[in-house]
Amino acid sequence: MMIYLLLAAGLFMGWSLGTNDAANAFGTAVATRVIKFRTAIIIISIMVMLGAILLGENNIDKLSSIATNNEVVASTEDVNNAIANGTLEDLRLKSALKAFIIFAAAGLTVFIMSFLKFPVSANQSITGAVIGWGLVYADYSNPEILSTNLKEMLEFASTWLINPVGAALISFVLVFLVKKFIEKRLTSMKSYDLIVKLGYLIAGAFAAFSIGQNSSASVTAFYYDATGLGANLLTSAQLTAIIGGAAICLGVLTFSKRVMMTVGSSIAEISQVDGFVVIVAMALTVLLMGEWMGIPVSTSQSVVGAVIGAGLVNGVKNVNFGVFKRIAIAWVSSPTVAGLLTYLIALATKSYFA
Amino acid sequence: MSVFKKGTQVHVLISEQIKDVEECLITFEGFLRAAVIPASADETLRSLAAGVAKAENTADVSLRRMIDSLSGQYLPATRQDLIALATSCDRVANKCEHIAKSMVTRRVRFPEGFGDDLIEIVSLTKQQFTILEQSITLLFTQLGSFLKDHHILDEIRALESRVDVIEEKLYEKIYAMDLDVANQDRLAGMLELICDSSDIIENIADQIQIMLITRKA
Repeated sequence: MMIYLLLAAGLFMGWSLGTNDAANAFGTAVATRVIKFRTAIIIISIMVMLGAILLGENNIDKLSSIATNNEVVASTEDVNNAIANGTLEDLRLKSALKAFIIFAAAGLTVFIMSFLKFPVSANQSITGAVIGWGLVYADYSNPEILSTNLKEMLEFASTWLINPVGAALISFVLVFLVKKFIEKRLTSMKSYDLIVKLGYLIAGAFAAFSIGQNSSASVTAFYYDATGLGANLLTSAQLTAIIGGAAICLGVLTFSKRVMMTVGSSIAEISQVDGFVVIVAMALTVLLMGEWMGIPVSTSQSVVGAVIGAGLVNGVKNVNFGVFKRIAIAWVSSPTVAGLLTYLIALATKSYFA
Repeated sequence: MSVFKKGTQVHVLISEQIKDVEECLITFEGFLRAAVIPASADETLRSLAAGVAKAENTADVSLRRMIDSLSGQYLPATRQDLIALATSCDRVANKCEHIAKSMVTRRVRFPEGFGDDLIEIVSLTKQQFTILEQSITLLFTQLGSFLKDHHILDEIRALESRVDVIEEKLYEKIYAMDLDVANQDRLAGMLELICDSSDIIENIADQIQIMLITRKA
């Protein structure tokens, strides 16, 4: 049973994602008092769990694949060898330990970068941590491994650009449509308020669902054994996502208010209608990225992209492209710091894991 | 349709409050017409000022009823905006009452030659208020088109500019008169108060524009 304590790093990662990402779903609505905090966290918790249960496992395959290629997760061959050699328990412990190290390094990166007030992405830190580990253990002298890993890394890196740009595009189209078809149909302030309230409720619920789908897997994926033979702590993809989702919910329920108020107030500078349209764009992007590419993405970067897209409807001059600098910093810093940490840990523990 | 029923009630109550403020403005105009006639008896003015005070009190009651009706309705930001709007409108009635009371109790009388301009100021203020009333109705009944086109608010500002021109002319006239400085200042102070309502209405127009901008997608 003690081995299950190693889940703590993933759960902590999930908890920390919950405290932060909840702000992207309901921050503006709560900060502007359109939705009560208590209502918001109840909706988030339900929808995050639904996202995790219904679609969460989709992202696990992709994450497992890159983790296997970087020697974080045991391959089917490794598992079969361990069974043949009678060392499955040892493999199980090592796999769980590796997952613990990856999540602890990624979590530490998020903590350090946030403390230093640098923009950071939890999902990008996790990817960086996996790659850092692979730099020590993956056999890059093998051209096949090199090309497979490079292809997957590029695929991951491409989502970092596709995510905010896609969110900007979706947001631009949605805000344009709202302006063209909804705004002029508003008859009174009462109908306006009703649209805003319903809009935030639906957008927030949708965003929470997308967070459940997007992030539940990424905080527990490396504890999952796809072979189902018991080479890691978890053998059910859905249960893996559900545990991740529950950790996120815990973060939402215990510590999300302050972040929600801070993030919400800064995003609230856009109009209220744009506010919920931006959240819908963010959620749609995250969901599409998960369904299309199977890769968890940064919801915060989606929101920034979506805000820019909304601003572009009123002309290029309304957009502060300086915010892209913060995203670019996160692109470089999150995976680099996490990768460096796991690289050093991997070197230090080589005698145990090799 | 039931979800909009209470919204309509707020609209009715705010319209009633606006009507009461307008009534106060009309009563004040009556007072001022009498006050600029040197022959008007103090007792007549006192009675007219009491009428203004009564109208102001009625407007106050309407304001409180309107604010009470907002309880639990609209989003907090809209509630705040509507309360600010109604309270600003009420300031016009307060101003009328204050001027009437001050003119009576401090026995301020404008010399001959001021009457037409003062009446013109109040008349322009009333026109501003009528347009303001239409603007508030648009907020409650045609928000979508009002978001797109709110040039009606510029009409309020244009009328305020006309009040400003008259005000400036009257200041020059006061300080060119053969009166001691204390009396000149007293008249100038009263003139300033009379013109304040026009500024208040212009500020309400700005408030409405801000409400529109923050609600535009």
